[in-house]
Amino acid sequence: MGTQSSSLKRYALTRLALVVPMVFILLTLVFLLMRVAPGNPVSAALGGHAPPAVIKAISHQLGYDKPVYVQYGHYLGQIVRGNFGTTISDRRSVGSIILVNGAATLELTFFAMIIAIIVGMLVGLVSGRFRDSPLDTGGRLFGIVVYATPVFFLGLLAQLVFGTWLNWLPTSDQASPITQALMKTHTNIFFLDAIIDGNWSAFWDIVKHLILPATTLGIVYGGVFIRLIRVNVIRTLKEDYIEAARARGINERSVVYHHAFRNALVPVITVVGLQLALLLGGAILTETTFNWPGLGHELYVYLQNRDYAAVQGIVVVFALVVVAASIVIDFANAFIDPRVRY
Amino acid sequence: MATAAVRLQRRTVGIRRALAPIAEARGMARTMLWVGTGLTLVFVLLAIFAPILSPYGFDQYQSGGHRFAQLAHPSHSHLFGTTVQSTDVLSRIVWGAQTELEVVGLALAFGLVIGVPLGLVSGYFGGALDRGTVLFMDAMFAFPPLLLAIVIAFLLGGSVNSGVLVAALAITITYVPQYFRVVRNHVISVREEPYVEAARALGAKPFTILRRYVFFNVVQNVPVIATLNAADAVLTLTALGFLGYGVQPSQGAEWGYDVSRAVSDAASGIWWTGLFPGLAIVLLVTGLTLLGEGLNETINPVLRRRTIARVDFGAPSLEPPSEILEP
Amino acid sequence: MHVRPRLRHLAVLGLAGLALAVVGVTAAQSKPLHSTASTIIDGTTDTVTNVDPAGNYDYGSATVDLLVYQHLLDYPEGHRSPTPSLATGCTANAAQTAWTCTLKKGVKFSNGDPFTSADVKWSFDRVNAIKDPSGIYGLISNLKDVTTNGDYSVTFNLKTPQSTWPFILTTGAATIVDHKVYPADKIVANTDTKNLVGTGPYVLSKFTPGQQAVFTPNPNYDGSLGSVKNGGVIINYYSKSSTMKLALQQGTIDMAFRDFTPTEYAALGKTSGITVFKGSGVVIRYLVLNVKRPPTNNLAVRKAIAYLFPRQDIASRIYHGNVQPLYSMVPAGLPGHVNAFGELYGLAPSTAKAKAVLKAAHVKTPVKLTVWWTPSHYGDASADEYTEIQRALNASKLFKVTLKSAEWATYSKTLGTQYGAFQLGWFPDYVDAEDYLVPFYASGSNFTSNGYKSAKMDALLHQEQGAKSTAQRLSIVQQAQMIAAKDAPIIPYWQGAMLAVGRSDIHGIQGTLDPTYLMRFWEITKS
Repeated sequence: MGTQSSSLKRYALTRLALVVPMVFILLTLVFLLMRVAPGNPVSAALGGHAPPAVIKAISHQLGYDKPVYVQYGHYLGQIVRGNFGTTISDRRSVGSIILVNGAATLELTFFAMIIAIIVGMLVGLVSGRFRDSPLDTGGRLFGIVVYATPVFFLGLLAQLVFGTWLNWLPTSDQASPITQALMKTHTNIFFLDAIIDGNWSAFWDIVKHLILPATTLGIVYGGVFIRLIRVNVIRTLKEDYIEAARARGINERSVVYHHAFRNALVPVITVVGLQLALLLGGAILTETTFNWPGLGHELYVYLQNRDYAAVQGIVVVFALVVVAASIVIDFANAFIDPRVRY
Repeated sequence: MATAAVRLQRRTVGIRRALAPIAEARGMARTMLWVGTGLTLVFVLLAIFAPILSPYGFDQYQSGGHRFAQLAHPSHSHLFGTTVQSTDVLSRIVWGAQTELEVVGLALAFGLVIGVPLGLVSGYFGGALDRGTVLFMDAMFAFPPLLLAIVIAFLLGGSVNSGVLVAALAITITYVPQYFRVVRNHVISVREEPYVEAARALGAKPFTILRRYVFFNVVQNVPVIATLNAADAVLTLTALGFLGYGVQPSQGAEWGYDVSRAVSDAASGIWWTGLFPGLAIVLLVTGLTLLGEGLNETINPVLRRRTIARVDFGAPSLEPPSEILEP
Repeated sequence: MHVRPRLRHLAVLGLAGLALAVVGVTAAQSKPLHSTASTIIDGTTDTVTNVDPAGNYDYGSATVDLLVYQHLLDYPEGHRSPTPSLATGCTANAAQTAWTCTLKKGVKFSNGDPFTSADVKWSFDRVNAIKDPSGIYGLISNLKDVTTNGDYSVTFNLKTPQSTWPFILTTGAATIVDHKVYPADKIVANTDTKNLVGTGPYVLSKFTPGQQAVFTPNPNYDGSLGSVKNGGVIINYYSKSSTMKLALQQGTIDMAFRDFTPTEYAALGKTSGITVFKGSGVVIRYLVLNVKRPPTNNLAVRKAIAYLFPRQDIASRIYHGNVQPLYSMVPAGLPGHVNAFGELYGLAPSTAKAKAVLKAAHVKTPVKLTVWWTPSHYGDASADEYTEIQRALNASKLFKVTLKSAEWATYSKTLGTQYGAFQLGWFPDYVDAEDYLVPFYASGSNFTSNGYKSAKMDALLHQEQGAKSTAQRLSIVQQAQMIAAKDAPIIPYWQGAMLAVGRSDIHGIQGTLDPTYLMRFWEITKS
């Protein structure tokens, strides 16, 4: 046990040490990407309304006309002090954007992930178990078509069918306006807040609002899980210990359900982490389609206003979350399967 | 002369050997290959013969002095209906195929030209250069690809006039790290193979070794990844179009942009302006994915046996799904 | 099979992480709504930058401020000119360089603080001290200082004579705030609702940026803008009009104000249970022509474009009649408006006249022209509008138009510095002809950078600003419009209606739709 824990510690330290230069590169990339583009928040707000001299004066007052390297130094200095800044267009602290809107994204991606895993598991397990049968063909085809469907197109169809034609489900926002206006804020995660207050009518309202966006995002990303789980089931069913179990006369059903499936699911954890980057990307589209006030939605709005501070903050958080997830996944894997620690 | 003939012969044998698995493909892989090739081919033909096949121009709004109706239902004169600008939906889909394939083709070419040599050099020489490049590429990888593409397209949109080029570059940048990583990892495993060692022992120059021995070995992987990435690239391009970046509406028909304009139609019960371009995206991406997966299963037994790609030490494990190339 | 317990550990760890991530977030200030049944729920695609009036210069924020604050002069329903609100009246000295206002007594802010001249001085001084990047302080750039004469009288000393100062007193820069609450040199944050106090009809009780603003009636409001006829207002913010339309149809929101696409307005007009209300509007759209860059530096080319402009087609085909063709920078319905372009170039496009004017100037046709437009800032229909313009100009065979577009942030910075012909829109700071002329044609304040400079025009506009009587002012305004049409550095082409959409149980929308372009939510009721 002693050696195991010390090697895990060493692995952890090395892994973490590498995060620093990586985050630095990320920050620099974000800065360069935002500042090289023409136009600044002042021109975005005042262009087409105020004389160029006024725009120039205000840009100067706010320091947007300083050399890029000076701005870069200032930017890094602020971040080192843990200050992600305040948005220029509406003076929100980037920290609060991340808490409030991040909570909305968390809520959406969490349920989307659950739906993706459920869809992926069901179809993937059946496909893998009955390899090369018509069920398998159907399952794989479903996986591919679903992966090939853009989130925004599925969202459009969902709005058309459930919003316009059937009028069953709300197609925008996290909750109806009255519910939201009356709700108390504890965690910013709506469905948790409703549970904390024991406010079941609000809870039901929130769940109804979650259904379309989470299902849309979840189904599309379920395609990836289908592929992965199917492969793992097929591989596991060929493993020696499964053969051994069969040889011991354990009935097939028990072999499949107790041995094969469980092990086939282990790699799913890894992929959950791997998919986070994609899922967040998809969240941008889902959020703009369903007016879901998450980080992706805010990013889209702030990008239009050329609000450096907001975009930098959000992009950095997106990237850090992905990096953090990959580290957690690596540790999880190292914890489960010591062979991973090379 | 003789050496040239030998080389040519060697090459044709190589190609035949490479193609053999396709001919030998059985069952599902075969079906996937055929369906995928068929679908992709349909769109390629649409793109090439758009001027002949398309009933109207992508921005044509009148014919014979008679202006098309706005948002007209599908009918025999406009099979898929018309848009708010009185253009023909079917024509925009046909011309759109051209835009999609142009952008994706360019993006793939750029991606390969940048990613493959970088991966070869980085993997073969190793050392500080390798570590630095890997770190940089991993940092790029940490961005959600769509986010990176949006920011790049936004940035280039102001200075580059051709929307096709802007979109292609935005997509390229998101895929370079993938090519880089796949090629680099493969090079590392090939580098220590006996025949490479032998060449090195005989005094071959590093770039000769890279070109002669490593490149051909490594490049086998590329078609599969490229096809799967093409599918991904179409999705990224249409997402850019949907958000209003990339190809501008006056420069060409683009399916993602058409779907975004159709969002307000859909809320008014007008389904044909969004449904058809959306289906076109789904079909093209499905075709490319089937083709890629079919190729993957038949051509590449190495990949077939591969377990989930463990990333080399230090790199965050952010393999995109297209790299988990499993049957 | 050691996998299972470990998986369970991991799951527990994961959940704990999730919980940690969300705990410790402070609750926002919120007071419950009194009555949800009579609360009006409005949807909008506008955005709010700062609620604090010293930090905003956009319509979405101004709409919020309208509910929370008052000015010395305001436009209650039915009034088209500045009307006493927190002031009982304002008068100018003979030179029109000092305006003195007497203030209403006994008015209280929503927190109970009394309203006095100190608040007025404080409000103007802090706008100038803060100099917010929104540029709102530019509106009172003619103000030298504010002096108080006792608690209930203030004098505005101006740098140059200004007959339109009362209009300035109705703008965002002249909003009155409580000097005991608002810092002299800092903007109050949007979520700090308990410090965003005013004297207006409502109190902002909860604000979630980008999502929702909740207003409850202000118990201290003195009713000078009209009494509050509902139990509160919620404004819900949408980033796409399509989702807002579905919300309206499903009854999630009661009404929507700004803005749908033309297709959506048309569809809503046909939906039962929903009414589209239309009032005269003051928003205009125009094409700027650069007088320094070829080919539009040639007057004949500019005139040819004026002859060909497809105003009717844009209004009917693209906007389904929700905008009306505009033939002068000053919108129809405003005092002083003349149909300048109609008189000089005709109401309908004429290819023959365009051809003649180009031929007379020996211009080789087709003229190659690049026209710039921007996709998101002026609504989705911009794409269709500019396609229509391109089609019309190309159809004449006199022009070969290439369309180019740029994202707003880039576009708004560039304008006339690089573009030869480009789309812009205008929403007035105050509804008077002056605000449709000076920012465009006075060489000192022309923001379009299109290079237009005319000594005659400059002299006229200078006279206008110091005019002694309204009649004299309006006659100058008319002359200026004719010169503008003759020189054609800008081609105005439509004037928008003020549109709002309501469900059948919502009443009182029509009354507030007038050229002042103010959504007076307090007049709206729900049955």
